[in-house]
Amino acid sequence: MMQIKPWDFMVKYTPQREWIEGHGIMVAFAMFFGGISGGLYLSSLYFHSELGTLIAWVFSGLAGLTDMAHLSKPMRFWRMLRRPNSSWISRGFILIWLFLGAALIQMALTHWAPGNAWEIVFKVIGGVLAFGVAIYSGFALGFVGAIKFWNSGLVPILYVISGVTAGLAVVILVSLNATNLYVVGNYLVVALIAYAIAVATYFWTATYSSSAAKDSAVRVLKGPVVLLGIILPIVMVAPFSLKQNISQAVFIIASVFTVLGGIFLRYVILKAGMYTPLLPDSES
Amino acid sequence: MRWGMAIELKRCIGCYACVLACKAEHFLPPNIFWNRVLIGEKGKYPAVTKLIYSVRCNHCADPKCVKACPTGATSQRADGIVVVDEDKCVGCRYCMVACPYQARSFYEDGHGDQHEYFPGQGLTEHEKIGQILYPHQVGTVQKCVFCKERIDEGLAKGLKPGVDRDASPACMNICPVKAIHFGDLDDPYSEVSQIIKEKKGHPFHPEFDTKPSIYYID
Repeated sequence: MMQIKPWDFMVKYTPQREWIEGHGIMVAFAMFFGGISGGLYLSSLYFHSELGTLIAWVFSGLAGLTDMAHLSKPMRFWRMLRRPNSSWISRGFILIWLFLGAALIQMALTHWAPGNAWEIVFKVIGGVLAFGVAIYSGFALGFVGAIKFWNSGLVPILYVISGVTAGLAVVILVSLNATNLYVVGNYLVVALIAYAIAVATYFWTATYSSSAAKDSAVRVLKGPVVLLGIILPIVMVAPFSLKQNISQAVFIIASVFTVLGGIFLRYVILKAGMYTPLLPDSES
Repeated sequence: MRWGMAIELKRCIGCYACVLACKAEHFLPPNIFWNRVLIGEKGKYPAVTKLIYSVRCNHCADPKCVKACPTGATSQRADGIVVVDEDKCVGCRYCMVACPYQARSFYEDGHGDQHEYFPGQGLTEHEKIGQILYPHQVGTVQKCVFCKERIDEGLAKGLKPGVDRDASPACMNICPVKAIHFGDLDDPYSEVSQIIKEKKGHPFHPEFDTKPSIYYID
């Protein structure tokens, strides 16, 4: 990443530092944990994985904790609950807290009172909140008009697909001995293909939305994130899933790469955020 | 009433006096700038133009920072001035990310060089006085407030901001070439409104769609 000199600040392309340097890196982790938490919870509900919902709950807690770790005044965190009418950070924080409560009740009902009508109710509530937890960070970035690379309606969609993909990868990791592992594998392949299409569309639109966004997209594509986090898992899992031939080692490696790809995708998207120079025609 | 500014670019000589006056007025710590001077070039030799822009918070009528703030620490007064309540700020820096003008600074919780102008030498008398008169909380976001203290005190004394020095922003008072004008944008007869109208003032990057209260005159 280019280092900007003080006299070049907002005269040339200026990288955002607030959400990536120092404590700012916690934002990338918060976004990742939020995304994977929502995706894993939804995937676990679909595949009836109690362990998956529990891990999703833990990931959601980690999303809240990493959100707070980013704050320079974490003891004032309760103030972040006060502006859901306008701020996506506030909305996300509230969604995480509500999800933690609803998912906890759902898990207790599923474990001790399965089939109960309330279990269904809390599964629906938990599912809706999980979707909110997965998507809010995408809206938080999409709101930022100052950084053209982020200012896209595709970011929330990308983040949800990324969360679901990573969630499916975790479901595979916790269901390695299940007989229907290849079914989850098939879903993972479909999700990874959708993920690849979403990433490609996002980067493609970024290249013509503005010069700053194009510059950011090129920086991301130069890295190995897309290759190792999306393409490689597809190539690894697809042959085995389609033949219904389970190779645990391949599934484990592909799932780990998928999860790591989710972390690094958020990192590079934050790292590539550039502000457009303020001076007219300063590039000419 | 909506306070605003007009800056005449052809008058500005890029002396940085506005930056220093702001620093002194608010006892700003090192690395904190509420006011900056951006200097660039346009064109190619031999047709080159030097660009000098004195920039600060635009106190936008549609401020992205106010919407982004999750705690309500950033708010807009009835007179249009966007302010930060340091007691409410959690330091999430969403407002900084959201501001297309990058007019905000974060007072980092760092080493001595973040807090002393002469690292390792201790605070100067000026810095010590500043910590009493105008304390800044470490770990909060800072920005230009159009010298609201001067405006409020001036109005209480019956003075007119933009006309009387004691009620006007420090950057306007210090400007040696009178490039900065301040006043009520809602008053069509104020000096600032007249200058914007006569000299065709325009906001900086209107495409950001935030309706800035600072106008530039080419």
